[in-house]
Amino acid sequence: MNATFTGLELRRVCRDYVSMFFIAVLPAFFYLIFGAAQGPSSEDAGNGNVAMYVMISMAAYGAVTATAGIGGMAAVERMQGWGRQLGLTPLPDSGYVFMKAIVAVAVAAIPITLIYLLGVLTDAEGPVGAWLLSALIVLAGAAVFALYGLVFGLALRSEAAVGAASGSLVILAFMGNIFFPLSGILLTLAKFTPLYGYVSLARYPLTEGYLFNVSDGTVTHEPLWVPVVNVSVWAVIFALLATWLVRRGRARQ
Amino acid sequence: MDSPTTGPAAVALSRAVKTFQSPGGELVRAVDGIDLAISPGEVVAVLGPNGAGKTTCLDMLLGLTCPSAGTVAVFGASPRQAVRAGRVSAVLQTGGLLRDITVRETVQMIASTFAEHAEVEEVIDRAGLSPLARRQVSKCSGGEQQRLRFALALLPDPDLLVLDEPTAGMDVTARRQFWDTMRADSVAGRTVVFATHYLEEADAFAARIVMIAGGRIVADGPTAHIRSQATGRTVSADLPPAEAAQVLALLRSRPHVIEAATQGSRVTVTTTDSDAAARELLGELGASNLEIASGSLESAFVSITAAPDRRVRTEQEVAR
Repeated sequence: MNATFTGLELRRVCRDYVSMFFIAVLPAFFYLIFGAAQGPSSEDAGNGNVAMYVMISMAAYGAVTATAGIGGMAAVERMQGWGRQLGLTPLPDSGYVFMKAIVAVAVAAIPITLIYLLGVLTDAEGPVGAWLLSALIVLAGAAVFALYGLVFGLALRSEAAVGAASGSLVILAFMGNIFFPLSGILLTLAKFTPLYGYVSLARYPLTEGYLFNVSDGTVTHEPLWVPVVNVSVWAVIFALLATWLVRRGRARQ
Repeated sequence: MDSPTTGPAAVALSRAVKTFQSPGGELVRAVDGIDLAISPGEVVAVLGPNGAGKTTCLDMLLGLTCPSAGTVAVFGASPRQAVRAGRVSAVLQTGGLLRDITVRETVQMIASTFAEHAEVEEVIDRAGLSPLARRQVSKCSGGEQQRLRFALALLPDPDLLVLDEPTAGMDVTARRQFWDTMRADSVAGRTVVFATHYLEEADAFAARIVMIAGGRIVADGPTAHIRSQATGRTVSADLPPAEAAQVLALLRSRPHVIEAATQGSRVTVTTTDSDAAARELLGELGASNLEIASGSLESAFVSITAAPDRRVRTEQEVAR
């Protein structure tokens, strides 16, 4: 662990105001609009209220935007010659990946902290355990989406990859039941999309698996294995894709 | 003249081969069996046209790519070990920099990867970057970025410094500035291997020149020796028709003649001594319509690199 290197990388990301806007400010804004300022925000949702439900969702969205961006940047940087420069140092690939992972998790913590703070200020309610556990799951699960960004970076090989990765996350967030509650066929499809398992898992301490159907008012229960399987399968898919793309890149050298 | 060296060679390539799969699926031999030994303290220029295999060769020295066959050793160890020990570093033609950090941050970042390294401020100063230390890399000119890469290369205080076309794309002033920095840095004691397109750079800086074409070494010798060939002149004249073949054989036997060829009855001689060739042609050989043209460095370079079997022998090889 190289503190100077990691610190400089961290400072670098935080200085990029445009990225920081999409990572932290925008999800926080979404929370204020869709969570805190909505009529039903104080209504019950699982062990807490709707504001908390939206808070977890937006923190999750911000966190994956952060990790996907950092993963994508890492891949593009390395291919654009920084990898050759680092190849002239004693730093091993594993050390580089480890430091980038630390940076990704640290940056993902920024929107989580900001939005949870806003949650405290705007009467998001839930058990203390649910606050802590959901924050931890959001943070840990976001790491999977560093791989998602990495895949985009490796496949597209240019700065556009980072935009494509975070842009596509907006669509996946809609499809994955993050931005507003889905029902019927859309909800069934959602269960197969990558962000669904992650955000459901993060909400689990609050909802305990109970899904509230907005259109007909019914409540259904989803067992824990559904989001767990979703996250695991997608993690494996991203890892396999990233490995395959790295190998393909090596062969071209 | 080769003094017995203690310890391993700075660089030892032995039958190094590197093949690539081209996009079309065929196998390309970028480096096609190179033997090269460089002693500690030597300053060697590697010359060759684009695609000759220079960069691939240097990449192998740095452990950035592995040879498909043959061996590469740097100070008796594998290139990667040498890099890890800080014994070899490089200024890469395509070494990327992070555009959104400052010059000083770049040096700090790379410095942090070495267990032992030169002082960050000292290295910045030696590369002439002190006034730019707080500037973002993206706002530095090509020449300034190259000096930054040079600063990074100085960090481990390497015994072997590899420069891959360090001045490519620079204007004349920036190029001169770069080499001044190199010189000021008392390269003395270090082994330096640099690839370049500019013959005058090789001439001014290297004691030995290695020419590569088609993935092979086509010439290897002291700079003075190569230059004497490179600065050779061309003498051409019309010969009496019947004697062409004989004359050609005679001319080729002369030590000052690099190359002789005929086209019809006209003979063209590339020589290091145009006076002697002219005297002989006009006198004993009865030639007429004599012309002398000075060969440019470039044309000599092209003539050497275009004929892959030609090998300028070094003194060592002659002695053997």
